[in-house]
Amino acid sequence: MRVTEETEAAKPSRGFWSDAWQRYRRRPIGMLALCFVLFLTSVALFAPAIAGTKPVVCSYKGNLYFPCLGYFNRSWESPIFTKDKFRGTYPENLKQKDPESWAIWPLVFQDPYRRVRENEWPGRRENPSRDEGHPTRLNLFGTDQYGVDIFAKMVHGTTIALLVGFVSMGLAGSIGVLVGALGGYFGGWVDMITSRLTEIVMCIPTLVLILALIAVVEKPTIWKTMAIIGATGWTGIARLTRAEFLRLRQTEFVMAARATGAGSLRIMFRHILPNALAPVLVPITFGIASAILVEGSLSFLGFGPPPPTASWGSVLNSARSNLQLWWLVVFPGAGIFLTVLAYNLVGEGLQEATDPRLREAKK
Amino acid sequence: MAAPLLEIKDLVTVFHTSKGRLPAVDGVSLTIERGQTLGLVGESGCGKSVTAMSTLRLVSSPGRIESGSITFTRDGESIDLVTAAEKQLRKVRGGRIGMIFQEPMTSLNPVFTIGNQIAEVVQLHRKVSRSEARSRALEMLRLVRVADPEQRLDAYPHQLSGGMRQRVMIAIALACEPDLIIADEPTTALDVTIQAQILELLDELQSRLGTAILLITHDLGVVAETCDDVAVMYAGRIVEQASAVELFSHPMHPYTKGLLQARPNVDARDSGPLATIPGMVPPPQDFPSGCRFHPRCSHARKPECNEESPSLREISSGHFVRCHFAEEINS
Repeated sequence: MRVTEETEAAKPSRGFWSDAWQRYRRRPIGMLALCFVLFLTSVALFAPAIAGTKPVVCSYKGNLYFPCLGYFNRSWESPIFTKDKFRGTYPENLKQKDPESWAIWPLVFQDPYRRVRENEWPGRRENPSRDEGHPTRLNLFGTDQYGVDIFAKMVHGTTIALLVGFVSMGLAGSIGVLVGALGGYFGGWVDMITSRLTEIVMCIPTLVLILALIAVVEKPTIWKTMAIIGATGWTGIARLTRAEFLRLRQTEFVMAARATGAGSLRIMFRHILPNALAPVLVPITFGIASAILVEGSLSFLGFGPPPPTASWGSVLNSARSNLQLWWLVVFPGAGIFLTVLAYNLVGEGLQEATDPRLREAKK
Repeated sequence: MAAPLLEIKDLVTVFHTSKGRLPAVDGVSLTIERGQTLGLVGESGCGKSVTAMSTLRLVSSPGRIESGSITFTRDGESIDLVTAAEKQLRKVRGGRIGMIFQEPMTSLNPVFTIGNQIAEVVQLHRKVSRSEARSRALEMLRLVRVADPEQRLDAYPHQLSGGMRQRVMIAIALACEPDLIIADEPTTALDVTIQAQILELLDELQSRLGTAILLITHDLGVVAETCDDVAVMYAGRIVEQASAVELFSHPMHPYTKGLLQARPNVDARDSGPLATIPGMVPPPQDFPSGCRFHPRCSHARKPECNEESPSLREISSGHFVRCHFAEEINS
């Protein structure tokens, strides 16, 4: 007894996820893609500190403020600046109204929502507009026809590009897992209904369905766009979840769980779902990529979020009427391309790391 | 006389498949008294596992309990598990009746620690906090004598050996101090030394906790060691039922006799090849008419055996046999 236990302990044995991570780490392309996604995430998180016209930190009349947070939410910008009539231009106002003040500025002094005026930053001329706004040292990615800096727009648009992926796939994942779990676990007529529902949604071309929904929705916002993408993109996830549940509900540990008195919901979501997660995670990763693409297409067609929102797709849209302004196409296009590529590579790596059949085929 | 702990009466469980209506369990009646061990013996495919599953109504589609009753009595209150509401049944499963499965390798959920899995059962049936459930889990691991219980609590099933996992399964089954444990071939998947340890453990826990056990097995050696009463099943029916001592000393049904002769005997060397019962258990769609054992029975006679189905008769006190010619064969 003692001996068998010790040999058992001597053999290192890892959990499923750490095992998958070990396998994933061995693929340089997958790791590169993952790093790119993490890079984008940090860009999204620190966007106001990378490009903006509001100080990251400033000392004003003896207090510390973080006006840059106003880019995330208007109300997080201290009301004192509105009261003192800053009107969004900080450099001169800070100096004029409190000579003692100091500020730490974002890396690039450009605003994603408006044109930077002459002398707003001491000694700097106004942003070029129309067809003169090609990339320069001050406007890394150029400016659009109204003189708004594209680099700042892209940096702030990262948040939306990532949010679109996560929120819409979070929604699609929830719907897909729920529908697939119900069908796969209960089978019979429940499965009949959920499967047919999935097939019906699958039959309708996604973009057409989304356009139809947008036509119905009043006042489109980026959140509504995400909700619509999510509400139409769950079919693949539902089918995979159903297949996993069909397989897992036959296993002995599920029978054992039932024998301990666990109810159906508990068995579905506590016992089966964690075991079905890996195969379901892969289509979710691919889904994030396609959601970003769909948002880009929608914005390009002009059905995206309304103007003040900075999104990569809306930059592309502004290029539609001015195709000779190449920088309006190249930079957001490359951004979308690289992001989608990265998510697809992450998804592929995940698939390879978690699916034993793929692993066999590679050998 | 008080009602027995569990009384199965004329249980019929059928599977509706493309081959038609297949009665895997066909009129089985069993009685288990408090603190007793009943062995249910038979070859593969005779319906013993389906009987066990039916007891907790765990038979999954296309299987269905067609008729019969399963009366479970506790503190003078009886419920029929066949007709009980799902909610009531869930309280019985794991709480009043624990179950141990054949395959310890696959019966534990691979993504949770074993401490988690034991604690879950406790929390399902008792109003206890997380930490109380966890300490109960630790207590259970000690009870089933898992080495280093504190560390094992956070181990995943794949980190344990088969014997250890079966101990954990026993811990889960016993965690809520049930009145009955249904053990469906608990030692089949284990090697012989571990088998002995597990059986010993079950035996010891039974005498300590006073739990009744329904032990399902095809291993007559296991039955001889642990059971008070034995029921022998063949083709969905009980063919012989008696106390273990009686059954092993005076087997009456030709099938039971055959099974007992088919055991290797250590004392009798050079006794030639092992005796076997010719043929196989017929699948439910091919159950023969009359006595279901007659095609394999050396005592079978026409026309009685292949036309008339024998009933389960009490030949001597407490000894039931399903055979037309039981007295004749045994005289």
